[in-house]
Amino acid sequence: MDTKVKSACETCAHFNADGLKKLGISTENVDFVIALAGNPNTGKSTVFNSLTGLRQHTGNWPGKTVTRAEGGFEYNKQKFKLVDLPGTYSLLSTSEDEAAARDFILFGKPDVTVIVADANRLERNLNLVLQILEITDKAVLCLNLMDEAKRNHIMIDERTLARDLGIPVVPTSARFGQGIPELIHTISEIANGNIVCKPHRIKNVPSNIENAVKTLSSEIEKEFPNVPNSRWIAFRLLEGDTRIINALKSGELV
Amino acid sequence: MNYNPTYALVLFFIIAGILYVVFRPTKGWFWIIKNNFRSNEKVVIEDVLKQLYHFESSGNKVDTKTLVQVLNFNNNQIIEVVKKMTINDLIYFEKDVLKLTDAGREYALRIVRIHRLWERYLADKTGFSKEEWHDRAEMMEHKLSHDETNSLAAHLGNPKFDPHGDPIPTITGKVAKVNGVELPLLAVNTVGRITHIEDEPEIIYKQILAENIHMGSLIRVIENNATRIVFLSEGEEFRLAPIVAANLTVAPIEKEVFIEDNIARLSSLKEEETAKIIGISKESRGESRRRLLDLGFVKGANIKIDLTNPLGDPNAYLIKGTSIALRKDQAAKILIKKD
Amino acid sequence: MSNKNIDHILELSNELRWQIGDDFHDNLTEGIYADAAQIVSDTVQVDDSKKRFRLDRQIDKIVTSKTFGFPIMFLILATVLWLTIIGANYPSSLLAQLLLDNIHPALKSFAASISMPWWLDGFLIDGVYLAVAWVIAVMLPPMAIFFPMFTLLEDFGYLPRVAFNLDNLFRKSGAHGKQALTMTMGFGCNAAGIVATRIIDSPRERLIAIITNNFSLCNGRWPTQILIATIFIGAVAPSAFSSLISLLAVIGIAVLGMAFMFGTSWALSKTVLKGQVSTFNLELPPYRPPRFWKTIYTSLIDRTLIVLWRAIVFAAPAGAVIWLISNIYIGNESVAAWTIHSLDGFGFLLGLNGVILLAYIVAIPANEIVIPTILMLTVLVTGIDGGAGAGVMFELDSANATADVLKAGGWTLLTAINLMLFSLLHNPCSTTIYTIYKETKSAKWTAFASIMPVILGFIVTFLVAQIWRIIF
Repeated sequence: MDTKVKSACETCAHFNADGLKKLGISTENVDFVIALAGNPNTGKSTVFNSLTGLRQHTGNWPGKTVTRAEGGFEYNKQKFKLVDLPGTYSLLSTSEDEAAARDFILFGKPDVTVIVADANRLERNLNLVLQILEITDKAVLCLNLMDEAKRNHIMIDERTLARDLGIPVVPTSARFGQGIPELIHTISEIANGNIVCKPHRIKNVPSNIENAVKTLSSEIEKEFPNVPNSRWIAFRLLEGDTRIINALKSGELV
Repeated sequence: MNYNPTYALVLFFIIAGILYVVFRPTKGWFWIIKNNFRSNEKVVIEDVLKQLYHFESSGNKVDTKTLVQVLNFNNNQIIEVVKKMTINDLIYFEKDVLKLTDAGREYALRIVRIHRLWERYLADKTGFSKEEWHDRAEMMEHKLSHDETNSLAAHLGNPKFDPHGDPIPTITGKVAKVNGVELPLLAVNTVGRITHIEDEPEIIYKQILAENIHMGSLIRVIENNATRIVFLSEGEEFRLAPIVAANLTVAPIEKEVFIEDNIARLSSLKEEETAKIIGISKESRGESRRRLLDLGFVKGANIKIDLTNPLGDPNAYLIKGTSIALRKDQAAKILIKKD
Repeated sequence: MSNKNIDHILELSNELRWQIGDDFHDNLTEGIYADAAQIVSDTVQVDDSKKRFRLDRQIDKIVTSKTFGFPIMFLILATVLWLTIIGANYPSSLLAQLLLDNIHPALKSFAASISMPWWLDGFLIDGVYLAVAWVIAVMLPPMAIFFPMFTLLEDFGYLPRVAFNLDNLFRKSGAHGKQALTMTMGFGCNAAGIVATRIIDSPRERLIAIITNNFSLCNGRWPTQILIATIFIGAVAPSAFSSLISLLAVIGIAVLGMAFMFGTSWALSKTVLKGQVSTFNLELPPYRPPRFWKTIYTSLIDRTLIVLWRAIVFAAPAGAVIWLISNIYIGNESVAAWTIHSLDGFGFLLGLNGVILLAYIVAIPANEIVIPTILMLTVLVTGIDGGAGAGVMFELDSANATADVLKAGGWTLLTAINLMLFSLLHNPCSTTIYTIYKETKSAKWTAFASIMPVILGFIVTFLVAQIWRIIF
């Protein structure tokens, strides 16, 4: 079924196959910066490779992407730079790789964040997805490893998922290149503002925390009316994140 | 000199032996000499101040004689230092009793602050065992500067209490109050949370550690008499002598808190058994606690053993669709209820 | 913007943090997972009726079982080594023939035709070119076989299982379980293994992993081990078993290296890097069939060529040095001969000789050139026939010819065994030292990681030599 979708879209009016050029590592004068985030072992590096045409090594052990990789592609005459962030389970802790991923999404202000998730373990992956959606509202969920999910008889209602999360959801099997054209198209649509996301915000927070977050975030909004993610900043301040405190002091966030 | 393998070997072992005696960890002569050099005046002054502060806050009076007994320094050195400190207006005598001046108390609080912050740091960010925290903090408290201390505090999120439950003085010298009463004062059936574990004297502290009792655990007293105190915590029953129990401070909880009855530790789960996670014990702190939560070890998650290890440890657990290996000591900190 | 208002926000956040207490992180994470569970229940359906036979789990049951777990691990290690050793022979000799027997003379005659001065010709062609050619001929084929095989295992998902099986040993030696992963990476190249230690969060355990990575026998050292084992150890056994015995000897050294790795980790974690083991958690990812050709291609590009390039960069100056010390004279002795004679006494104590020690000093940049350097220097000092001239590295075509040269240089079984031990226990190559510095950013730890293995090597070879001499 996946192959049908692929061929359908490659010939459809939306996807402009001729407009696609994989740029490898040459990423000068780019129009958009795209961050690639996701849990370890979700095939993130494979997605990165199939988007950029690079052949970054893809070992099958957690944390094998130890250095940040960058690559690019060109679509409809616009250049996209892709930054592969270290695979993490969460953005809430203080370990080096999580801080790197968190800082890039928050301070690097990517135009689109692609979140790669393993379709077989959606619940576990949503932990990270929901956190990223607190930081940025320009995101797309790349539901990878659909081939494995199919073999495991896991059915995902992508439309409901997209509605619940408030962002586009693109099913892919990056190992076989399936779904990548749709992903590229969606990235471009979000970057150009043709798709506007209304991301899900975390709901099941105990009331004492919710109140604290509300108090704090309204204070933050008073001070920085243009900050899009005051709730996330409030979360981080309650956590005592020194990086955020310094960024507030230096005005880096605005 | 004639070469002979036997002589060469003997010579080698003699040299190795000498090196061992001089450099062996902690007890080597080299380290002892180095340590003696370090116990300079500053260290003695700070230790005297800290001791006086502890005596003051526990309401005891102290004269020079007791001070000499508690501190591990050369007697003359202490007497010398006490003289100097009186001149510098850090302490004063009320008859025989030594008292802290305001400046002295402020200085003492700074030392206590570093000590407790460092213990917090060791507990949250490193893997040092509990037995070592105190001694390491004793060394560190003389080393950190004012700015370093404050950035450490910020890094740790300005914590209120150290891992034993002792309050950490703030920059301005405010000290929070520890809630609760000593465990032997609690009536049978009281439910409470452990808010403080006294780490001195060491013998009793080690005994508490050996029992695997920890800060923040909920307990329920089920027996309390002159010979022993029995209570339930995290699915286990503990029996302590009153003298040991007196080192535990417990804050009774007024509201009716439901304590699960058949709580067990994840480490006790057997193959083919399934369970639900109740929570993570307070014993797991800082980074490692966060990591466990991020990996999906949250309240209500289903869990079972996926793979047992050929060497017995660690086992891999199936949680939220993924197989994750945890060492036994960590699994012991995850509380479950077997299905 | 005024800092005052921010201070007010920070103060408020401190206040609120104290109010909500310790459980903030717990509650937040639980909240997120509760959201996730809701979304999943809306959108995901698992067809349990068609529950498949879980192949993953069946493989895992076998590779982590009490009975088969460890034998399978050693079998895989042995197979990879065996294929590397056998497979590398032919292309290695082919490359050697091309680079040394054809191109080298051609270069020489070219130099002669343009009447290049002898010292420049010697320096460039006999020094720099030969060293580089050796590194390529000796290193490229085994790496081109070893790395892809290793990468296939890695892509398949076997490495986390190795870490899982071995973790208890690492725990007992005070190290992190993921050190098993970096250790196996080190079998390919120590520098790569050291970069991989970034997966270890705790700085203390990461440092242990970095310092002990050198005990993983790397690609530059496998050929030395294999050659010496074949010549001296295999020769002791009846000819039917000789290749099996030499393979076992090499695996024995590799396993001994692991033992030293555990021992040193333990000693470090009890002394200078004291502290209890911090947390360990390891995801065992599902197996994924590697895409064979793609993997081979990427591992060739990504690993083999990069590692090879670094080795060449460091080998070229080493070649120059070798040529220089053999051709610069103090009095009537070359610098090389003079150094060898002054090192001989110390070398004898260790059951080695001056030639080997000098070769290891010269070969700090690239361990691959140890054997050719030893041969060249042996010929230089013994004055036997068969060399290619002062400062010209060479390797003899057959193992027998090599053995003849070495025996003429006074080698015994003890020399061979100690050379194998010393090849395991000596300073890391300069690429690795540089990587250690880059990763630790500490000159102190870099120095420690470089010197500690040599001292260990001295002690071990010394003890073996004395005991050997007492017994025999």
